[in-house]
Amino acid sequence: MRPLFGIAGYVLREAASRKFILAFMVGITLLLLVLSLSLKLEVLDGALAATRLFGNALNHRIVAVDVALRPLYMACAYVVFYGGILFGIVACSDFAPSLMSPGRIEHLLALPLQRWHILGGTFLGVMTLALCGAIYGSGGLLLIFGVKTGYWTLGPLIAALLACASFAAVYAVMLTTATLVRSAALCAASGFLLLVGGIIAGYRTPISRVFEEGLGRRLFEGVTLLLPRLSSLANASAELAASQPLEVKSLEMLLAGVLVFGLGALAVGFWRFEGKDY
Amino acid sequence: MSAIEVIGLQKTYRRAFRRAGNEALRGVDLTVPEGSAFGLIGPNGAGKTTFIKAILGIVQPTAGTVKVLGGSPEDPRIRARIGYLPERLHLPGAWTATAFLHTVAKLKGLRPDGAAHLRLLERVGLAEAALRKIGGYSKGMRQRLGLATALLGAPSLLVLDEPTDGIDPMGRVEVRGILQEEIRRGTTLFLNSHLLAETERVCDRVAILANGRVLREGRLEELSRGGARWAVRFAPGVDSGALAAAGFQAGGADGLYHVEAADAAALNLALDKARAAGALLVELRRDGQDLEAVLTSTVGAAA
Repeated sequence: MRPLFGIAGYVLREAASRKFILAFMVGITLLLLVLSLSLKLEVLDGALAATRLFGNALNHRIVAVDVALRPLYMACAYVVFYGGILFGIVACSDFAPSLMSPGRIEHLLALPLQRWHILGGTFLGVMTLALCGAIYGSGGLLLIFGVKTGYWTLGPLIAALLACASFAAVYAVMLTTATLVRSAALCAASGFLLLVGGIIAGYRTPISRVFEEGLGRRLFEGVTLLLPRLSSLANASAELAASQPLEVKSLEMLLAGVLVFGLGALAVGFWRFEGKDY
Repeated sequence: MSAIEVIGLQKTYRRAFRRAGNEALRGVDLTVPEGSAFGLIGPNGAGKTTFIKAILGIVQPTAGTVKVLGGSPEDPRIRARIGYLPERLHLPGAWTATAFLHTVAKLKGLRPDGAAHLRLLERVGLAEAALRKIGGYSKGMRQRLGLATALLGAPSLLVLDEPTDGIDPMGRVEVRGILQEEIRRGTTLFLNSHLLAETERVCDRVAILANGRVLREGRLEELSRGGARWAVRFAPGVDSGALAAAGFQAGGADGLYHVEAADAAALNLALDKARAAGALLVELRRDGQDLEAVLTSTVGAAA
């Protein structure tokens, strides 16, 4: 396992040297700082009595803290889910193609590593990066609202973890694309396509009604059946963040679907990488 | 024991939707003795880089067997004993040299040792730039760092693809010194260089690869030997007619003659005749070829 962690460390070190990833972390930190310094919440007996943002009072009814925070947590969950995946697609699209660039891949392949260590380590490194970003952002939010209102919930953290699980499937496809064509643009495109496909797959039943019955509808249903239902997972993460009951029948099945899809995509990537000449 | 043993190595690069592939290696047989300094030379597109990649397991042979340090190049334990410098080593520009060596040492399964890494950087002439970002390095400095990386962990086999590319003449002398130190230490050196003078100075054995085949292979002096022909230089004022009668043929330069002599006795007999005619000997050497001439004649004959 040491070579796997070694490659993950290599990827993380590479990430640390990239300005836009550092800028993203600084951006999250600034947002959390602004929120913690400018937002004043007055809580009386578990109810939100008054809210001030930058000194201006926000008009609202007196409601229980958990109810008042629901829309905010839901919005944050959606931002973390879709924004995080989109940022991840753009920020991480270059890692695998860069590692497989001429002069670098030959050097890595000549080191005492198995080929799967290189691909697995890259995946692990990127997922560590995504997990750290998600936990940092959602954990910070949780801490700020927890301290200010006294209402503590793990919802936003779980929502962030679900976003990471979804990104894992997206990045598996991107990594596999990198083994087929060494292009950051195509890696990003494949990730973006899966994200769009995953959003559509989550709404496949209502969308399928748009198609006339017959081959077209069956084809649509068949294709979307294979895709991970990312929008359903995004909705579930928002509901979890807001501590509301889930609309999906089984979160476990949704996650299992994403996991199977991700592992399948990774398996194709490993198979291709094992047999490829550089 | 052989450091590298290759039998019937073939490599054909196939492309999707194309029936015929590109044959890079067409049945290469080559043995590199342990502890030797071996040079691989040949024209562009001869298959040299493919051969190096095949012995490191970077490309998978279409046919044939490859044994490196007594085992398979796919075996990480074998690879741990190999130091490799690729032709165009891509280095992370935002890292420092010490950080890069630290990471590669960990990937090689070595315990990172900052002091040892600094000594290694000093050895390749990068001590002062050790903490500078690699992005600011010149091509020669990058090449030196690549060499330092290959030397990590004192490998038993060094495979270097164009190690002095981009390095200035003084730097080349330093690199040559390092390679000679490694050879004295018992390391097997496998060198691919376009600089034939470099190969000639460092290597004791050479193989000529062209069109995916080994055309000639052997000790350097055997390849460059000109047979029974000798070059002789006499002091000015010799009697050309008498020398011609003794079997000497006039060379291009003043006082330079060539003579055919199968053995030492025949050579001395010819020289005695020349001296008897009043010629004064000032220089005698075997009429050999340099590596460039060997390469040109070998590849030309095969074409």
